[in-house]
Amino acid sequence: MMSDSNLSNLSVEFMRPPEQVMRLDRMGSSHQTRLSFMRSLIRRMSRENWKFECLRRDIDNDGFGVSVYAVTTPLRTYSLIAFTQDIPPKKRTDRVIAEVWDATFNLFDGIPTQADIDYLANNTPKQEGGRYRPSELVLARANKSLRVFEHVISTLAKGNQPDIELLSSVGYLMRTTAVYGSGKFGCADRAKIADREECKGAFQIELLAVYLIRWFTIDLAEHLAKKRGGDKAVKFEPHIRQFIGVGNATGLGMAPFLLKHPVLIHNLVIAKESALARVRSMETPLKGTLEKFTQSLIQVSQHLREWSVEDEVQTTRIDRLKDEIESLSNWCSDEINLMKPYPWNGIYQFVEDRFSLECQEMVVSLIIEPHGSLVDDLAETMSSVSTPKLVANMPLSQLKEIVKDYYVWATTIDFTLTDSQHHFWYYSEDKLEPRFGSRDVEEGSEQEMPLAIGRDVHDLNHALLSTSDEMLVGEFVISFPQFRHIIRRIQNTLQRPYSEVQDNLLDESMRPLDLLRFKLAFFGASKFDPKSDLWTRISMYQGAPMPDQLSDPDHDKWFFPVIPNQVI
Amino acid sequence: MATEHLTISLNEVLFFFTRAGFGVNAPIGISEDFAYSNMWIAENGFDPSSCSIEALNNLDSHTSDLAVELEKSDTQVHFVNPNNVYLSSLIASVSVVDCINIGSQDVELIVKNVDSPLLVIAAMGANQCSDWQAIWLDENNYEYLVNFIEPGVWEMVSSNTQPIELSKGGNMIIRPLVETKKHPANAVLRQFVTIEEKEKILQTGVKVGEHWQGIYDYFSRCLVKSTAESRASGAGAGMVDTD
Repeated sequence: MMSDSNLSNLSVEFMRPPEQVMRLDRMGSSHQTRLSFMRSLIRRMSRENWKFECLRRDIDNDGFGVSVYAVTTPLRTYSLIAFTQDIPPKKRTDRVIAEVWDATFNLFDGIPTQADIDYLANNTPKQEGGRYRPSELVLARANKSLRVFEHVISTLAKGNQPDIELLSSVGYLMRTTAVYGSGKFGCADRAKIADREECKGAFQIELLAVYLIRWFTIDLAEHLAKKRGGDKAVKFEPHIRQFIGVGNATGLGMAPFLLKHPVLIHNLVIAKESALARVRSMETPLKGTLEKFTQSLIQVSQHLREWSVEDEVQTTRIDRLKDEIESLSNWCSDEINLMKPYPWNGIYQFVEDRFSLECQEMVVSLIIEPHGSLVDDLAETMSSVSTPKLVANMPLSQLKEIVKDYYVWATTIDFTLTDSQHHFWYYSEDKLEPRFGSRDVEEGSEQEMPLAIGRDVHDLNHALLSTSDEMLVGEFVISFPQFRHIIRRIQNTLQRPYSEVQDNLLDESMRPLDLLRFKLAFFGASKFDPKSDLWTRISMYQGAPMPDQLSDPDHDKWFFPVIPNQVI
Repeated sequence: MATEHLTISLNEVLFFFTRAGFGVNAPIGISEDFAYSNMWIAENGFDPSSCSIEALNNLDSHTSDLAVELEKSDTQVHFVNPNNVYLSSLIASVSVVDCINIGSQDVELIVKNVDSPLLVIAAMGANQCSDWQAIWLDENNYEYLVNFIEPGVWEMVSSNTQPIELSKGGNMIIRPLVETKKHPANAVLRQFVTIEEKEKILQTGVKVGEHWQGIYDYFSRCLVKSTAESRASGAGAGMVDTD
């Protein structure tokens, strides 16, 4: 199926095939793992002893103004510049088409001068309406949680700790609604920083910005409480501070990004699948790992009790998941089940044979978790630098073989059915907001984004029926230039079999939410809170160590966070 | 975004030029390659919009088109537009690179009446072509020579003052590189190490000039008009979101 120098022959036997992994329903059941980008970033911060400092806090009694928070890595410094302002409640929307935000941010490459801050003060609050320079690595914005923000300030100001149940029900003080990197709106290209050690993993610089935003929101709340309460005010208890994450609202923009980066998808998935295969292929467990796993079942049960959402579909899934984790715990409590050879594979098979995809993917995360020494190197392989190129000298016979071997899912779809082409993806002229429309209802399908992978493969397959096997791809595309992009994708799949989502992205039943969750799980998000099929809220860094906790021995133990002191 | 003398990122070059190509009805695969060519142009310190606007204008006005015929002999491959208009550099560039990648190491490639020769050069550069040479005389009788010396290293030779990105209507000869030293006495030679030029651009951004607006206009054709219905429901989240 593939060659991977990081896998032994035995491990390859335990790899789950792309046709099992790359299905929307399974992708939409993904959970964070220890390879997730936030997890690997926190480990690096701790390992390299990064230093954090608030350089500037020029804000009024309401918290409006500019602040600068810096982090120093072994070789360089990055600064989060935060602008805060008063906005009318009715102007708060998570959509791209929003025009004002409570807080807007840049991650700056180095320490900004006053001239830099003056320039950004005229641009950053405008977000997409501003222009940025290669010194700006990230552009982001966030809105307050109205329920939590005021509660936290007023209780801290009175010398009390906030209501932990309320904190748990939201999970954050502010919610980011966009985090842009990689050259957006003039910001630095990824290539500028790609060779830096701390940036080699996927999305590390964007997630550094988010980590600093989380610190900023907590620091801001404590500062405002002090302003209001004076000597009576208190700071968060450390364990409560650690439990506060930063929210995020993720919409459609992430889905086209994912589909346009097949190399990245492959690299993400093969890293996770390789980790799983390495664990499943162990005949005897590493010392202490089974105990850690059974302990984690207790913690995750608590996490599930605290994972409460309004969405009915997700609520049903969580309820079933609770029962399944309990059943797994009971099964694991019978020592005979864990004393057989290949115990991790035994656990995985038990779950795969009986339980929901949601449970299967959670257990994948749980059995990888105790195996840092075995799998953490894979986190370094999850970014992508290459772009697929057309292989012009490939004979059509080989192209046909690849289609036959890897794209049955596409060639067997009946695209004459209306439902099979129900949706189309497009950019709106309204701030270039990505949207997902119904072909029969909305205009603009002629400007459809080229994300109809299955349909394009299907059409190519039909065109290939009447061609000579000996013809080369480079000759074929002279006559059929409309297939150039899809041939390039197909050729890439031969090298990178986990590149494609093996479902029809235009189908009436298609839920973009599945793609969003897939990618957000790789980021390390938790407590997915779907608001519709098109967007979700999540919590990021909930339970992660704060800057002053990074040297703690437990700095890496924050997956599936639970309310402090609530673990039974 | 449609400001004169703007500085943009390489990623924005990729984003906007891909859709600008699509905006003049080039197939998406060709538009993607067109955008990568423009990234290479930008990485080498040129304004990609001043080179590519002509190619897009030509396609839009049907002064060029994407039809290409290949006439092959033992020693040459000719790329010809059959419709008596310019051969669009969007199709010429990918066709030349494909031909090179197929393994045409011992033949000359003759590209006739291509509208923007630098885009063909850029496609070769973006695909790391090495040991190839391109020479052309354009419709203003300006002559250009480009040598791809090794991957990522190329040189441009010309004895005229017209910037290479403005050269149009060229009959190009592309052949394996055999000699790099013979140049006319009055010729100006500029050598580029793309990775070094790119490093400078990553620190400063890509400066685009007066033709950027035209690129943006073609890009804008890919956008769908917003309606009350799509604004309300096309992207999920509500118009007011509090929690």
